[in-house]
Amino acid sequence: MIEAIPLDHVVLVATTLFGIGLYGVLSRRNAVAILMAIELMLNAVNINFIAFSMYVSPDPTVGQIIAVFVITVAAAEVALGLAIVLQIFRNKSNINVDDLDLLRW
Amino acid sequence: MNGSDFAFLLPEIVLVATAITVWAVDFFTPRDRKPDLAWPAAAGALVAMAFLAISWGEHREMFLGTLRLDNFSLFFRFLFLTVAFFVIVGSPGYVRRKLRNAGEFYGLILMSTVGAMGIVSSREFLTAYISLELVAFGFYVLVSHARHEARSNEAGAKYLILGAFSSGLLLFGISLIFGATGSTGYAAIAAALETTPDFGMVWTLGVALVLAGLGFKVAAFPFHSWAPDVYEGAPLPITAFLSVGSKAAGFAFLIRLFAEGLFPVLDDWRVAIGVVAVLTMTFGNLVAIQQANLKRLLAYSSIAQAGYILVGVATLNADTTSGMLLHIAGYTATNLGAFLVVIYFHNLTGKEGIDDLRGLYRRSFLLTLVLAVSLLSLAGMPLFAGFMTKFYLFTAAAASQLWWLIALAVANSILSVYYYLLVLRQAFITPESEEEEQRPAFRLPSHARATLSLLMVLVLWIGIYPSVFVDAAEAGSRALFGG
Repeated sequence: MIEAIPLDHVVLVATTLFGIGLYGVLSRRNAVAILMAIELMLNAVNINFIAFSMYVSPDPTVGQIIAVFVITVAAAEVALGLAIVLQIFRNKSNINVDDLDLLRW
Repeated sequence: MNGSDFAFLLPEIVLVATAITVWAVDFFTPRDRKPDLAWPAAAGALVAMAFLAISWGEHREMFLGTLRLDNFSLFFRFLFLTVAFFVIVGSPGYVRRKLRNAGEFYGLILMSTVGAMGIVSSREFLTAYISLELVAFGFYVLVSHARHEARSNEAGAKYLILGAFSSGLLLFGISLIFGATGSTGYAAIAAALETTPDFGMVWTLGVALVLAGLGFKVAAFPFHSWAPDVYEGAPLPITAFLSVGSKAAGFAFLIRLFAEGLFPVLDDWRVAIGVVAVLTMTFGNLVAIQQANLKRLLAYSSIAQAGYILVGVATLNADTTSGMLLHIAGYTATNLGAFLVVIYFHNLTGKEGIDDLRGLYRRSFLLTLVLAVSLLSLAGMPLFAGFMTKFYLFTAAAASQLWWLIALAVANSILSVYYYLLVLRQAFITPESEEEEQRPAFRLPSHARATLSLLMVLVLWIGIYPSVFVDAAEAGSRALFGG
């Protein structure tokens, strides 16, 4: 029997992944890269939910169900995001967020 | 849960059905008739309001306790339907001039409303989150709905990126709270807090991230940066909808979360929320003073208003909750009035600068009157809703003895009078040039006159004789706090 991975390790991985995503959102200038960084953040959330549901929750399915929902929402979010980015590209031939300067940030 | 429970979700069902019908009919409607789809969509909102009446006084747990229909949710569901109704009725003129897919536009407004109605009823994180995303997704599309306008695209992209980012923060916070307490239900979280008062760093970080995520949604400082840009770039009716609907939904989420889930630890967070409240209102007011664009001014003013409501969250109890509900209702009527004036003014002139208001009193008395009533109410002048509701909210908050908070809130309220009066000076006093004096008076469509008058009456009603609204707000707060 293989010993299970301790909760701390899993949460550490998730937090690191979340940090990488956070850094990506704040530092990347390409709109598609920002959307990918947001995906990383949401995946960190999924890891957290699954780990916690295995170790902490009285009902082990709760976290997994939430993860499924989060994946679904994330997919929809990216679809919407890419549609808007595509529209910007059609109007401006450029998806650098620094050039989104018609409105002052 | 049994079959008859669905009767209590009839308002939501009616809205979804109306939205789908509007989308379907849109396919068969010639382009120049599409803006008229507003009327069936608005009728759907009215029918949903009629169905809400049957759940008055009912307290029902549904779907394994994930939804709770009580007077609190009833209050907000009614509010959202009212908002949707006025936004839809106010938009056909604008839609005709600017937007192509009118059916889609009205349907998405209804869908976002359904999401908002879900948030206020849910007492579990996942349900609330999914509802929140239903609201947000509708808004992402609506904000960027003027597809060929670069400004609208840009606003949509900014809103989506920051909205998705804030959802990420919110979800990570929820996952940590889930990790600490083993549950996502508010009641179970409160129960866990009773037995274990301190979960350590995981818990603190979780709550902080949830607050940050919701802070984005209600545009609280320092998470407000998206609001002015998105408000300016979005189609005007959507700006109106965002500034009242999405804000009220965020606050409803916060209030129910703190009242039912995090109440045992609220004392740890009071000062932090209070500081955010003060920063939010001060920042909103100071920046609003410098604005030349009416839409942007209203955006910053709505940031400041969020600060006032946060005072109620920081001092949360039964009285401040009814104060917040009342203030949100008054703010909704007032801000809708102000935005409808901007929408109609924009329809007639294509402009939205504060300078462009010169001579407004000569060109349309009704527009000027409603603008004056709305702005004076936002400024918190007596006789108007803003004074009554703020007075009620701040008096209730004073019981918490956070005097610095109340003092700064009142000071801010006085400060804000200045920039609202600047706008009114343009409309009333600043003389027109000779050339401008030749401009003809405005001719408003009759439905515009009706909606404007209705909102003005509502603002004055809440301001002068608010007992009906106070009773409703108190019933809503009793649903959360008992007694």
